[in-house]
Amino acid sequence: MKRLMLPLALAGFATAAPMALAETVAVITPFLAQPGTQAYVQAFQEDAATRGWEVNVIDTAGDMAAVISRIEDAVTQKVDAIVVNVDPAQVQAGLQTAADAGIPVIGMDAGADPLIVTNITSNGYAMAAETSVYVANRIEGKGKVVMFVFDAFPPVQIRGVVADAIFANFPDIEVLDRITPDVQDGGIADSRAKMEAVLAANPEPGSIAAVWAAWDQPALGALQAIEAAGRTGEGIVIVGMDANPQARDAIAQGGNFEASMAQDFVGIGKAAAEATARAMAKEEIKSKVTYVPTVLVTKANAAP
Amino acid sequence: MISQLRQAGTLIGLVLIVVFFTVQLPETFLTARNLINVSQQISMLAVVAFAMTVVMVMTDFDLSVGSMASLAGIVAAVLFTADQPVWLAVVAALAVGVLGGVVNGVLVAVLGILPFVATLGTLTIYSGAAFWISDGKTIFGRDIPKGFSEFARGGVSLDAVGFAGVSLPYMTILALVVLAVVWVTLEHTTYGRRLYAIGGNAEAARLAGVRVRWLRLSAFAITGLGAAVAGLMYASRVASANPTQGAGLMLDAIAAVFLGMTMGKEGEPRALATLVGVLILGILDNGLTQMKVDSYVREMLVGTIVIAAVATSSIGRRA
Repeated sequence: MKRLMLPLALAGFATAAPMALAETVAVITPFLAQPGTQAYVQAFQEDAATRGWEVNVIDTAGDMAAVISRIEDAVTQKVDAIVVNVDPAQVQAGLQTAADAGIPVIGMDAGADPLIVTNITSNGYAMAAETSVYVANRIEGKGKVVMFVFDAFPPVQIRGVVADAIFANFPDIEVLDRITPDVQDGGIADSRAKMEAVLAANPEPGSIAAVWAAWDQPALGALQAIEAAGRTGEGIVIVGMDANPQARDAIAQGGNFEASMAQDFVGIGKAAAEATARAMAKEEIKSKVTYVPTVLVTKANAAP
Repeated sequence: MISQLRQAGTLIGLVLIVVFFTVQLPETFLTARNLINVSQQISMLAVVAFAMTVVMVMTDFDLSVGSMASLAGIVAAVLFTADQPVWLAVVAALAVGVLGGVVNGVLVAVLGILPFVATLGTLTIYSGAAFWISDGKTIFGRDIPKGFSEFARGGVSLDAVGFAGVSLPYMTILALVVLAVVWVTLEHTTYGRRLYAIGGNAEAARLAGVRVRWLRLSAFAITGLGAAVAGLMYASRVASANPTQGAGLMLDAIAAVFLGMTMGKEGEPRALATLVGVLILGILDNGLTQMKVDSYVREMLVGTIVIAAVATSSIGRRA
């Protein structure tokens, strides 16, 4: 009897597998736990629903090799298009398999690559430039800045590069520390701990002018640390990036967390769906990268 | 009879899973190309799981295999960026694997720290080392030599045996070689039998003259080497090295060994049984993806199957 349970459990899912003849699109990402990814995947699904596509969203929970495996599976399954949300350099083997089978692959906040039809994304360089100069202007070009970066992930790494360049261009701005938080817990808790250590090492009021974070979670962690240390009155300027709901909320309250950059995730999802439609229609898409505009979020426009 | 059925239960489960997917995906599942894909997809996990089997035979654990896999990939990639030849980078990465395994072995066998605690500590150390050496960056693109990344894409053509246009990936062949080595070592050498003796009763083994300390230490070294091999395979597969990329291998490897252990007479791990465990995990991933089952549901299902298999076997054993 017990032996029967397994196939029965599996059979339950069989009925869930639709047998429609609609165009099928596989969306493969290792980052579905990220709010931004969720937003554009959802926008993509909604747009795809109006076009009558059947969309299969696959999350490999951070595993890059599994992304390749799942691309291979999608090719075996003969989908009409594949949308990926990873650095193409790391999944070349999978992209090649899709290319050999003539299945178009569209990048959704991925990266440019000859094997990708086009990559729909925000301009990370421009975004980082906006928050970095916001900080530089707010602290009037002088003071110590704490940076939170994550160079292991190329889209975040480029933000750090731009911030480095801009801060270096102000002779009186000193980068006090360039911290890579542990992101296994989502990034807030460890960033808070790291910021608490920085605050403890710099007890003089006013000794830290600003916190520049390459995404919102470390900015929120830094904000918590500053609040817990009772140092909110020192005017430490915090900026994040991505403007997730929690960050918007903090910015709207008018505390130390002053600014973030809103990527148009819904726009990215929709543009990816549009590009997918064009690719499936065998239309030529010339540019390997398609930028969707971003906007600086401050107290003035933080309300979601 | 009942005990034989219990032992065969997991294998029957695997067969049922294959039959189920064959019925559900008649055109795509049971094809040479898909099965070869699966073999390549599971090759890295398989190597870690075979290596893990070696220490689990002694009822020990190695939680550091995932971060060792990441570290090995990073070591090789950093040497690539320093324009070192592929062979040197590979040898260095494997040496780091052995060294890391020896450290685990010393902590467990010489200092007597519980494997869980010792390897939890080294997990963090190796992971930190991977971040430190790489500066936290993903090393990819031109830095990774073609000769290295092509390994994961190449294979031996099967045209001659009737599968035109299909080739057996080098990754699969390597995993089979590791399987053969681990199988022979565990099942057909005095060394292996002594590891099983330690697993049965370490104190009795010691009194019987088995050099428990040395054997445990060397077994951890083998596991470290295996983890490094898997890390290099992973790095070749994704043509890049990231300080966290091997992290997911550890739990899956332990799950695979546990699945396999349900097939042992005394619930002991066996290399071939571990292969069955790996196949179950890999085939579920492949088949459920093809059936468009939600990836989160897939995860819950895989966990449930591991527990169900182990539970069935332990209930059967008590009866």
